[in-house]
Amino acid sequence: MVFFAMRVSRFSTLVVIPSLFLLAGGAVKDFGPQIPKQVLDWKASGLDAIYDRKTLYGYMDGGAEVYLAFDFREVFVRKYADAEKNELVLDIYDMGSPAEAFGMFSCDRQDPEAKIGQGSEYGPGLLRFWRGRYFVSVTVSGNEAKAEKAVLELGNAVAPLLGPDGALPEMIKLLPSAGLRAEKTAYFHNHVHLSNRYFVASENILNLDERTECLFAEYDSKNGDSGRLLVIRYPDADKTKAAAASFRKSFLPGADADGAALTDNKRWSMIKTREKVLAVVIEASSKEYAGRLVETIIRPLK
Amino acid sequence: MTSNMTRRDFIRGTAVAVLGASAAFGQNAAAPLKKTRVVLIRHPDALDANSAFNEPVIQQMLDEAVSKLLDQSDPIEAFKQLVKPEDVVGIKTNVWSFLPTPAPVENAIKRRVLDAGVNEKDIGLDDHNVRTNPIFVKATALINARPVRTHYLAGMSGCLKNYIMFAESQPDHHPDSCASLGSLFLLPQVKGKTRLNVLCALTPQFHGRGPHNFSRRYVWNYKGLIVGQDPVAVDSVGLRLIMAKRRKELGPAQEIPPVPKHIQLADTKYGIGTADPAKIELIKLGWLDDVMI
Repeated sequence: MVFFAMRVSRFSTLVVIPSLFLLAGGAVKDFGPQIPKQVLDWKASGLDAIYDRKTLYGYMDGGAEVYLAFDFREVFVRKYADAEKNELVLDIYDMGSPAEAFGMFSCDRQDPEAKIGQGSEYGPGLLRFWRGRYFVSVTVSGNEAKAEKAVLELGNAVAPLLGPDGALPEMIKLLPSAGLRAEKTAYFHNHVHLSNRYFVASENILNLDERTECLFAEYDSKNGDSGRLLVIRYPDADKTKAAAASFRKSFLPGADADGAALTDNKRWSMIKTREKVLAVVIEASSKEYAGRLVETIIRPLK
Repeated sequence: MTSNMTRRDFIRGTAVAVLGASAAFGQNAAAPLKKTRVVLIRHPDALDANSAFNEPVIQQMLDEAVSKLLDQSDPIEAFKQLVKPEDVVGIKTNVWSFLPTPAPVENAIKRRVLDAGVNEKDIGLDDHNVRTNPIFVKATALINARPVRTHYLAGMSGCLKNYIMFAESQPDHHPDSCASLGSLFLLPQVKGKTRLNVLCALTPQFHGRGPHNFSRRYVWNYKGLIVGQDPVAVDSVGLRLIMAKRRKELGPAQEIPPVPKHIQLADTKYGIGTADPAKIELIKLGWLDDVMI
């Protein structure tokens, strides 16, 4: 949120054109007139809808918490149907900031890049992308193969309306680049998202909540080193210490003086903290590699 | 409180109470333990080549499963053990648009409830309005039927989660991975009334994606029904199936969905059934190709 304010401020010193604000990341209701009412064989059907944090439950039927765990503000929904009643649903989510939009996008990446917006993926029946403070999905009910071209065309029509581009979460700079599978990096806040991205424990042993910032990254180096890295920034150092103690007790009760332990699958886990940051490596190929990953995270804070 | 389970416990194979141990699951142990019976039945023709449901086959599957569940040779006699002519029966279905309870399953249940002698006017079918539907308000018996699928918060949506519509506030049951779902079976409108649970594994969903946590890519034609009188045991079996499919399709790292702790807690905290696979007698009937559990 702070970041977004800075972006607007910096942008406004360069070009102050009110209409441009409408085009470049306004309220989601303003997107309605600018988005095509027809895409190939699919025509807009029914009324556009907008849901906010209070009304999202009425749209998601059980999935609203996924968005509410981020700084979700509101979503614009438009449905399209073709003559055979195949349906496309366009959702444009205002996530409050580019970091949050990236976070929403990053937690669920499994398909090939679609080259739409700042980051995207497309697989049968589902297009996902983000740009600026917006996260977008286009879903298909019915004939997914027939819909592919229309889905991508709709995405390409929407993306220019969402600009300007936003920055990735600042925390990502902490991640060492060697061996990083960037397309697997996820940014989030709470235990629900961690559990969906990578199951660590049934209980919230790292004390995650809406105030914590988390990165989950996967490493797979050419030389065979591999591991998973979880980086968490807490509001204060005391919370970091408490979370580290909780994690050690539940996950690494036998950790050595380096905070490392060999797990039953012959992989290494390690935990270290410094100030507000906690770094955990899970399933590393060696203790030495786990140590290198952790130290890279901790070192910049010196 | 539930006992915490970590990825390390799972790797070590000590997470039986929550997730079960794959190798031992469903097998008869040597100990003379009274087990909770769950029947898994599958049929290759439950869906046709276009994935349309085959209602006669589904009726046959339900009949065989309930008969075996209750050690009866005749399905109508079996249903007569579940409901009496004087009962008012609410069939709790699920209308989630992406993967609802299949109509042939609803029809098959209703048909046998009628055959058992219950008046049609005393049979209700509902999901969102069960708290106010007159049939459900005065119901003396409930039958719980819904598809099995993963869920972003709860880990798995099964028979336990299907009763969330009986809650005064659904969001009140969302915290802590929907840990309190078992308590729904202790509500006055529900307590002691559930006679049968039918977890539809005809087209299970093993992974959730997209805004509504649904993508057809993660639905497969398993062509099965998981049937039991204990909703906890039925869900415990359903979870094993979901995990087996995830392991096969997504790899070991994603075998576990968000841990459905509500299944364990329904047993250990709310006492409404049996979650421990070692205490479940899983009987498999019919088609066994790629049965996975």
